Amino acid sequence: MVARSENLVGPQALAVELCSIPLRTPLIPAAGTLGKEVLDGAEDVYGAMLPKTVTPRPRAGNPPPRLAEAPSGMINSIGLQNPGLDRFLEDLDAFYTVGLPLFVSVAGDTVGEFASMCETLASETRVSAIELNLSCPNVEHGGGTFCASPSTVGDAVAASKGALAGAKPVFVKLTNDGVVGNAVAAEEAGADAVTVINTIPALVVDAGERRVFLRGGLSGPAIKPVALRAVYEVSRAVNIPVIGCGGVASGTDVAEFMLAGATAVQVGAGGFVREPGAMLAEFAEYLRGAGLRAGDLAGALGT
Amino acid sequence: MKLHPVEVLGREEHGRHVLLRYRWTGEAPRPGQFVMARPQNHAGLDPFLPRPLFAHDHEGETVSLLFEVRGRGTALLAGEDAGLLVSAPLGRGFGTEGSGPVALIGGGVWVSPLKLLSRRLKGSGVGHDVYLEVPEGAPEAYAEFLRTRYESAALIETGGASDPPRAVLDRVGELSGYATLYVSGTAETLQAAKHAAEGVVSAQLALRERMACANGSCYGCAVPVWEAGEKTYRRACVEGPVFRAEALAW
Repeated sequence: MVARSENLVGPQALAVELCSIPLRTPLIPAAGTLGKEVLDGAEDVYGAMLPKTVTPRPRAGNPPPRLAEAPSGMINSIGLQNPGLDRFLEDLDAFYTVGLPLFVSVAGDTVGEFASMCETLASETRVSAIELNLSCPNVEHGGGTFCASPSTVGDAVAASKGALAGAKPVFVKLTNDGVVGNAVAAEEAGADAVTVINTIPALVVDAGERRVFLRGGLSGPAIKPVALRAVYEVSRAVNIPVIGCGGVASGTDVAEFMLAGATAVQVGAGGFVREPGAMLAEFAEYLRGAGLRAGDLAGALGT
Repeated sequence: MKLHPVEVLGREEHGRHVLLRYRWTGEAPRPGQFVMARPQNHAGLDPFLPRPLFAHDHEGETVSLLFEVRGRGTALLAGEDAGLLVSAPLGRGFGTEGSGPVALIGGGVWVSPLKLLSRRLKGSGVGHDVYLEVPEGAPEAYAEFLRTRYESAALIETGGASDPPRAVLDRVGELSGYATLYVSGTAETLQAAKHAAEGVVSAQLALRERMACANGSCYGCAVPVWEAGEKTYRRACVEGPVFRAEALAW
């Protein structure tokens, strides 16, 4: 008993494996929520690094306002402001030198753009995996997102997998609408994991001015129950790992997502208001109390 | 975001404004910097985001915040016994390298960062004049607070003025007589000051923006700026909240 207990309080209790990539902890920053300015100490908290989504060319992003507060959450409409892939790769060492596996989130306007970015990244030795951000507008299909249908998800995944030619795993980040069908389509097209879910489309109305204040994506604890259900259902519909995302703000939240079926968990807006290190400590405490390792949680959910 | 529990030393109401003083032994705030603040005893995550508030003053181990209670977040912060969680001072504040005389201009009721700036300028012997608006509808208690808090400031009552920012700038007078304008205030005040200063005097504007991460990660507090002739966006939380007027693409 003593030996087992010692094992469980050590760092190995937190370790998980995602697509054969060992992660020291199951926490991953959600794309666009951990910048290069705040990487001090990241190696003690996270299992991998995941910088802000990059597009083939620079994007200025949306005009302000970009933010609004919602009950237990926030709504953002940033517009993928980023310096473009070339400059992104020049600056990537800031994340690479953290010393954790490095995942890169990509977005394109067309299937061809996803494929061309993956082709560039295939030989990038600093990068361990690619996450496809399929919540961006699909210019070839009238501007709806790539998540609009299983077929557009499948097209983007197949093209990306083809371009990578097995060089790196592909994770596919999905919105909540149609998530189970889209996850199955992603798996069938060769995805190695799915990230569930992205922000939920939301609207803020300014009643005083009688106008739309912001049209964007809702994140934070407000969406956690929705995200949990998506993880639960998707993990029962596919045989690839599920990365949980949506409203994680505590160690208990991390445990809940893993019990629901997630192999790893992304922390986004919750990290703006609480320290992810505190969430990890709470999660470790949960494991200690339950006498479990992080890797034991998937499948530990009773009916 | 690391938020520190701090001891609240005082909480004063001045009209709709609250002056919150707390003990702080960490890095000293520079004029124009801000902190993220949330009530400590308010359980749960609603309101979700801490509020960005300019450092109003700093002396010894006491930092103060001055804000108008406008919604639920600020009302909770202002509440008795709410406790307080604050970040370390954040962002890029006013540049104070030059010599005087300089003008400090506060528009609307957003004069908060000018107190600390005035204190620092005084400490380094830079001559400065302070001009503060008392806008229409401001409670007398707020005006009285300004009179005692900013002893030598010129208070400009703009009730009835058709163009309040213009009325404030008219009172400042010949802008070229100053080496720099330091401006905090409403969007209209900042815009008016930027255009009035163009080609006449350098100006630094303290912007109030909605913020989420406050550390450069989320790009939520975007401010339009000119760079190499092109309009782009900079983050108020790490590249501001004080910007040179000529850089702003307004």
